Amino acid sequence: MKSKNNGKDFCMFALPGMFCFFAVVIVPFVYGVYLTLTDWNGVAKVKNFIGLKNFSGVMKDGQFWTSLLLTFKYVIFVVLIVNVLAFAIAYLLTRGIKGQNFFRAGFFTPNLIGGIVLGYIWQFVFSRVFVSIGESTGWKLFEVSWLSDPTNAFIALVVVSVWQLSGYMILIYVAGFMGLSEDVMEAASIDGASGFVKLKSIIMPLMMSSITICLFLTLSRAFMVYDVNLSLTAGAPYGTTEMAAMHVYEKAFTSRQFGVGQAEAFILFIIVAVISGLQVYFTKKQEVEA
Amino acid sequence: MRRKFMKKVTASGLVMVLMMTMLTGCRFGFASDPDDPNEEEKEVPIDTSVDTFEYDTSLSGTNITLLNSKAEIQVALEAMGAEYEKKSGVHVEVMPVTDGDSPYTKVVSLYNSGTPPTASILDTTDVIALAEEKAADLTGEPWTEEAEGYLTEIDGKIYSFPLCIEGRGIIYNKAVIEEALGEEFHPESVTTQSAFTDILDRLVEAGIEKPVSVAKEDWSLGAHHLQYIYETYEGTSEGAQEIIEDIKAGKVDLDSYKRLSEFLDMFDILKKYNVAKGDPLGADYDEMAIDLADGKTAFWFNGNWAWPNLSEAGAEEADEYGFLPYFMNDDKSDFANEQIQASPSKQVMLDGQIASDKEQAAAKEFLNWIVYSEIGQQMLVKTCNIIPPFKNNPYEPSDPLSADIYKKVHEEKAFNASAIVPNDHWAVLGASMQKYLAGRSDRNELTEDIQKYWDEQE
Repeated sequence: MKSKNNGKDFCMFALPGMFCFFAVVIVPFVYGVYLTLTDWNGVAKVKNFIGLKNFSGVMKDGQFWTSLLLTFKYVIFVVLIVNVLAFAIAYLLTRGIKGQNFFRAGFFTPNLIGGIVLGYIWQFVFSRVFVSIGESTGWKLFEVSWLSDPTNAFIALVVVSVWQLSGYMILIYVAGFMGLSEDVMEAASIDGASGFVKLKSIIMPLMMSSITICLFLTLSRAFMVYDVNLSLTAGAPYGTTEMAAMHVYEKAFTSRQFGVGQAEAFILFIIVAVISGLQVYFTKKQEVEA
Repeated sequence: MRRKFMKKVTASGLVMVLMMTMLTGCRFGFASDPDDPNEEEKEVPIDTSVDTFEYDTSLSGTNITLLNSKAEIQVALEAMGAEYEKKSGVHVEVMPVTDGDSPYTKVVSLYNSGTPPTASILDTTDVIALAEEKAADLTGEPWTEEAEGYLTEIDGKIYSFPLCIEGRGIIYNKAVIEEALGEEFHPESVTTQSAFTDILDRLVEAGIEKPVSVAKEDWSLGAHHLQYIYETYEGTSEGAQEIIEDIKAGKVDLDSYKRLSEFLDMFDILKKYNVAKGDPLGADYDEMAIDLADGKTAFWFNGNWAWPNLSEAGAEEADEYGFLPYFMNDDKSDFANEQIQASPSKQVMLDGQIASDKEQAAAKEFLNWIVYSEIGQQMLVKTCNIIPPFKNNPYEPSDPLSADIYKKVHEEKAFNASAIVPNDHWAVLGASMQKYLAGRSDRNELTEDIQKYWDEQE
């Protein structure tokens, strides 16, 4: 009786969602993997099976590996800075300072603006506002557009991504801090723990579930970055800031090597899946109950 | 307690709304987009009193779709479609390719979803990629006679309708040059690289410190600059194809290929007098138009598609703008030094796979209407502001850049050559050119990049 009812519930609540997920995620994914084994160019009526030739094409595509390396660099910077910053700000914003709701809303706002718009706004800031500041003050730092130098353009990308992502993570960390039990904090204080010790031994372990989520979100978002990359630098100067996702798109649609692009997308997927899977596994292990 | 909470919620909600309006506010504060299809254009009156075109009445009521990848003529095309519908009863729906989407990607995705447009405006490379699988054969259509020399043949068949001629070169602002030099400027008298450098030097002496604008965009550097090395091989599309095949096959050594070193000599001159020399990769496209219109610079390497930008920057139709050739050397008898490049750029391809016979017939009639009807002829030139590739079209474009190209085409001061290169040529070699422009690579590295690019092609 009970199991029958469960079946009905499952059908009612989960089936529509399952169906959508299946139709728009699983099916295209499997089909995409199949396409990596064919020579389909996006247009042709016939798809010839060519085995792993597309993957050997990926091996030969030096630019892909360069952009993958750059993406790793980007991910490390973004994940670290976003989480440290968001954690610190969330900590400050849960201590009851004046106007903290205003700040919470303010920090979250960048996240509400789409990546494309955000990229254009910042492009204007980097190549026009900064340069005119440089012109009027003579500061070397702002003399030329940040976007015309490979290193500075990379820094610009990191800055904008941090600016955009931090707000979201602050929100999650704030929720985590609000969920900390006053009793535990008080007990820790009575036991003589203060400052850093309290942070390290009490707060951090209790915040682990928030950290798991935030790390996962920042990792996957940073690996898959496309919109900000496109609108802020579009790979400029001379292709030095082209991240993996953008390279995949360019390969498939600009170079029209559909199979190779699809194979690169698949490799990128495996890398992201493995890394974020490991991250969730290890941080989950650290989680404790109060 | 509850009230306090509510107050807080309302307060933070208000703050959010305020912040949002502030931020979206600055989004709308940017300079308006010259390609914005919603922007109002002044209407050019079209005389519709005479119309001798014969319409096929059986097609009345048919719906056709036209995919438009030329954003600046979206409004004009809609007007044209409406005018055609009035006369023929065929409804033409003009679909724009949104910004950031490539026309090819768009048309392929429409094919894959089973709803391709009846007609699509594409680049020549796209037509070549799609023709055999998807396109309707247009060989023998009446308009082909009027477009002689501007047709693209694929295996002896014609699959596309050349919509417009576009040309490029070094745009000059005559008034600025004359004012600075204090004498009349005769563009046709400049026919060598050193004569051009001479003028540049005199302009510098006269106070225009950096008289040239060079766009940093990869499509400009990779396609419009670099492709001169193929197109000036002998000034024809066939010649361009030949040299490309030879480079691919390794029959031509790029290190000793004359056109490449000549091209780089010219590029170096532009680089030297570049207004953005301090930060060439930080150059802003819209600002270049303003600089040329205001007289901060006297030259801008670009094509007739730059007119909307110039006009937005304050240039008037009565002003004298025109093109100088991309000077390759000091040989006065070299065609490249006295002719600018101009060739058909956008092509209309008809769907031959899914569209019904009636739809195809209607689309074919629309193309013929553009070429043969008095209204279509006028609208192509006046409303769309296009340089028509059709001999029978008596109208002349009105903006100075298009007018100059029109004049040069008719005086045989233009060579019709367009290199058909792989679709990522502009992106890949555009990046190499950017590197060279920024002074971060030398001729050897650039040459190697070009060679490597062609070696990788199958």
